[in-house]
Amino acid sequence: MKAKDIMEPVKETLTPETTLKEAVNRMRVARRGDGRVGVKGMIVLDNGKLAGIVSIKDILKAIIPSYMTLTELGEFTWDGMLEQMAKKVAGRKVEEIMTKDVITVSEDSPLMECADLVVKHGLHRLPVLDRDKKVVGMIYIRDLYQAIVQALFEKEDKR
Amino acid sequence: MTHEVAAASQPFVMDTTFWTATTIFLISYVVIISEKVHKTVVALFAASLMLVLKILSQYEAFHVEELGVDWNVIFLLIGMMVIINLMRPTGFFEYIAIKSAKAGKGDPMRIMIIFAVVTAVLSALLDNVTTVLLLAPVTLLIADALEVDPIPFLIVEAIASNIGGTATLIGDPPNIMIASKAKLNFMDFIYNLTPIVIVLMVVLLFVIKLVFGRKLKTREELKQRIMQMNEKEAIKDPLMLKKSLFVLGLVLVGFVFHGTLELQPATVALFGAGLLLLLSGTHEPHHVLAEVEWPTIFFFIGLFILVGGVVKVGLIKWMSLKMLAVTQGNLLATSMIVMWFSAIASAIVDNIPYVATMNPLIIDMAKQMWPQETGLALLRHPDLMPIWWSLALGACLGGNGSPIGASANVIVVGMAEKAGQKISFMRFVAYGFPIMLLTVFISMIYVWLRYYVLNF
Repeated sequence: MKAKDIMEPVKETLTPETTLKEAVNRMRVARRGDGRVGVKGMIVLDNGKLAGIVSIKDILKAIIPSYMTLTELGEFTWDGMLEQMAKKVAGRKVEEIMTKDVITVSEDSPLMECADLVVKHGLHRLPVLDRDKKVVGMIYIRDLYQAIVQALFEKEDKR
Repeated sequence: MTHEVAAASQPFVMDTTFWTATTIFLISYVVIISEKVHKTVVALFAASLMLVLKILSQYEAFHVEELGVDWNVIFLLIGMMVIINLMRPTGFFEYIAIKSAKAGKGDPMRIMIIFAVVTAVLSALLDNVTTVLLLAPVTLLIADALEVDPIPFLIVEAIASNIGGTATLIGDPPNIMIASKAKLNFMDFIYNLTPIVIVLMVVLLFVIKLVFGRKLKTREELKQRIMQMNEKEAIKDPLMLKKSLFVLGLVLVGFVFHGTLELQPATVALFGAGLLLLLSGTHEPHHVLAEVEWPTIFFFIGLFILVGGVVKVGLIKWMSLKMLAVTQGNLLATSMIVMWFSAIASAIVDNIPYVATMNPLIIDMAKQMWPQETGLALLRHPDLMPIWWSLALGACLGGNGSPIGASANVIVVGMAEKAGQKISFMRFVAYGFPIMLLTVFISMIYVWLRYYVLNF
């Protein structure tokens, strides 16, 4: 099997100009697969080209103030600080917070390559590109797991 | 030492070597100011040119103090950087900052004043960059907790660090360079510069109160956020903190008595660095040493050789003759010109290359004025002293004039930007430039009154 065999179509995307608040809302209401799972990451397209990817982790990173990452000030917080910081960055644009160096695979990439990338880079999702570098789908870590489940059990059942 | 002094003061001719060296020097400074190429790269390349073209011999560059690298400056900086790098992870600075904010009872105005004083004191004892680098993150945290604009706090800290750093030999690189060149000791700086710096700090605090007094307000419940913080949580390594404070104390005592002990400041700092490394029980000194700001160190090395080249060919001597022609040997006029020119120059360009050029220039000027004197009698001629102090005051205080005037300013602007709070060039100038003018003006009166009227 190859990437294109297990990828899911990408229904919703963001643009670099989308605000963080709007991005959070889009991710909140979007559904993928059979509609039971919420979206925890969305790709950002700039004129149809992949510009970046925004995940929940990117949003958390944007909310954590720089001084806490620059020094050991993690203990010095107050009740409501996360909420306060979230409101503070709500108006920032997606392009400021998104991960820009997106790791992608091509349609014909073998699943082993996909699994390797997911583990090496600690990813949850891998955009799949066609030959023209257009995003055609997304592979989620669960889809790879599903392929393993199939290999170990379902093929065995057929026998 | 005597033969180098003699060599440097020989008559010069404006031959090919003179013009080559001068061209290298001028082009390097233009490129450094333009910031198109990293200043360390420029300085090292220009220095290597001075050597390759045999304007300066390698022996002169590496072994002759008057013409080459001033290892006293280099190792004083390295020693202090190692001590600070070992001290940084203990959380001491965060502890001080949070304790200060609590001492201010969460009131923004009081916190700003206390932070300014703390920054000034720490900058006098450590270096400015480290001080603001460690205090700025806490400042941003406090400002967020109080829901006030952090930018005035950050700018005040940069200004206070530049003023505080002026007070001591180790406070600011220009002072380190001047001390080493003029053979001045730690206590000379304390006697001559600390009094005026205290006056300048008091003035700064009044200005802060005047400018921000009514504007800085916060709500009562936000103050509680500060009061509920426990500064003790900042301390990550109490044992290492004790060792660091012990060594830092020892080093400061060493500085105070280095004149009497006949130890160079670099020796004191290196001893402290070595001792703290030993006490820290680190088996892997690599990361501690790697964190030394090598670009700055190599900038100094390159610069010393670059300036050494133009000293040797006589450009500096020619400049000193021009300066004498302007002032006609009037010492008060020279002092005042040196101070104001230094202040303006330091606001526009890095004060390190500026002082590197001015040091030999002033020595050369002294040679013209007192040809019969040599060595210490020349470098520390009583009539020359006010000029050294004018150079130190101008070069250090001038740093406040613009966001690029001093390294501490650059750090503060960078930190603010990372925190999503851009400090525009003009916003910094709006605060910094008037304060620079005010502090240099007061310093001018001080130098005039103390050295030319009261004569003590």
